[in-house]
Amino acid sequence: MRFETSVALRYLAASRRRAHVGLIATISVAGLAVGVAALVVSLALLSGFQDRIRRQMMDRTAHLRVSPARGARLADPERVRDVLSRVPGVLRTAPAIEGRAWASDPEGVGTPLPVRFRSVSDAPPSAGEARITGALAARLHTGPGEEIRLTSARTRLSPIGPIPVAALVSVGEVMRGSALDRPGDVQVSEATARLLADAPTGAAAYEARLADPSSAEAAARQVSRALGSGYRVETWRELNGPLAFALRLEKSVIFLTVALVILVAALNIVANIALTVVEKKRDLGVFLSLGATPGSLERIYLTLGAAIGAIGTLAGLAVGVGLSVALDRFRLVPLPSDVYLLSHVPFAVHPGEVAAIAAFAFGTALAAAVLPARAAARLAPGEAVRLSR
Amino acid sequence: MTSPAIHAENLAKTYTGEGAPVTVFSGLSFEVPEGVLAAVMGPSGVGKSTLLHLVGGIDRPDAGRVEVLGSSLEDMPSRERARFRNENIGFVFQFHHLLPEFTAEENVAFPHRIAGMPEREARRRAAELLERVGLAGRGDHGARALSGGEQQRVAIARALARNPRLLLADEPTGNLDAAAAAVVFDLLRELHRERGMTTVVVTHNPEAAARCDRLFTMSREGISESSG
Repeated sequence: MRFETSVALRYLAASRRRAHVGLIATISVAGLAVGVAALVVSLALLSGFQDRIRRQMMDRTAHLRVSPARGARLADPERVRDVLSRVPGVLRTAPAIEGRAWASDPEGVGTPLPVRFRSVSDAPPSAGEARITGALAARLHTGPGEEIRLTSARTRLSPIGPIPVAALVSVGEVMRGSALDRPGDVQVSEATARLLADAPTGAAAYEARLADPSSAEAAARQVSRALGSGYRVETWRELNGPLAFALRLEKSVIFLTVALVILVAALNIVANIALTVVEKKRDLGVFLSLGATPGSLERIYLTLGAAIGAIGTLAGLAVGVGLSVALDRFRLVPLPSDVYLLSHVPFAVHPGEVAAIAAFAFGTALAAAVLPARAAARLAPGEAVRLSR
Repeated sequence: MTSPAIHAENLAKTYTGEGAPVTVFSGLSFEVPEGVLAAVMGPSGVGKSTLLHLVGGIDRPDAGRVEVLGSSLEDMPSRERARFRNENIGFVFQFHHLLPEFTAEENVAFPHRIAGMPEREARRRAAELLERVGLAGRGDHGARALSGGEQQRVAIARALARNPRLLLADEPTGNLDAAAAAVVFDLLRELHRERGMTTVVVTHNPEAAARCDRLFTMSREGISESSG
């Protein structure tokens, strides 16, 4: 062990015997540990919810979507389908048919509500059925098994002139609790979507699902190369870009807010080390008289800061990770499941986030030691030994 | 002719603290030949300790020049000056200045550890030195567990750890009773002879000073050599 390390560790161990320094050292370590634990639990809570949203993104959004760079419809949908089908890892492809419509009661008496209908390739509703959101069901006063009328913005010619295209569909399922759904989303079968969109053939876009959603970027590059220009190829991450950005922003804001606790703890570390520098002024003078360099004295206090940082960070991580795992495993925070569709608050500990918290806390503790350590290095040895007679 | 171990010329030192500046001395010149045991006497406040600090390079003169063992500490970069101090100069302070968190052996091992010696070897050498100053078996004792005389002997062992060519002792017996002071001073003389180093001892004890090779007397007017 280096001379500086052994001195720093001894100072830290001995601080318990010096009441005032010991108290401040304990507060420094405890403050840092509390900050780290709070940060770990906060991010685990956020990750618990966000992981569910991300899983829904992967489950309910197409992993790849190919649309024309210009225009509303694909010029050559068959070629797009062939290219997508040949990409390794693609499980299935389906045309995306979507459009705008109005939803109303079957008789069309009530006020129609604007909706966005789309065909879905994964577990599509049966022919003649629709899947609507809870908000839409509430506004239409309808539920599973009841019928609603979807009236398209498109028209068709009839002997009495152009009349709107409409379809009577039965509500198959009411979707609840997904951050991905907008209130006016309606999922229908491909046949119903084609009818409402007045698109018996072709498609506005083609979508594909992958065996491994994390390989979407590589698959997208492959599809782009094969199709050439004139197409826009998007991954599920890009399709959910605004939501993913909002989730990242939310996490960053929580991190910065809770990290303030660590910054306050760092101020305690500054006070603790500054107090030790003043208290050990004579020792520092002795070290200099024995041939230590000012840099060596600086390293003693940086090591002290690092030791406080390491102990506080490790303690905080142990408490934070332990608490998060226990809260999730034993479902200690229950939720009213009729409101949230979740029986408990989920907590998810991500190793990358824990590593980032540890690095931030340790780095802050080390940075807090820099100022008093530099003060120690500037000490005049003659003055230190003279004043401590 | 023997070259001087210490050559100080026209030294001046003024302390500027919270009050008015205090000039300790100015125009002070001082020379000690190599291998000599020199005593410096004088009333309190004339700057005896300050002179030792300037010679040992732990303080800087406001004017003048100090050469120690043929080298000017002023001209050395900080790191080199620290190494020079570690290898060539030993300090003994009046209040021993042992580090209370460490054992006697660890205190004596510090100069080696600062020089980068592995802990095991540094402690082995420290134990040998403690044995030499009559403290065999006391190495594991904390500094506070030792008597005043023992603490000062540990401080002497620490000062000699790197086998320095110059030992500067600032009232090493000033804080001890007569019996302990005699033991410590005898030990200093013995070690001085054994190691052939140059030793400068600041003391208020005329009897101890009389047993040194050279005797310097400091006053407000300056420093002069008396017949030893």
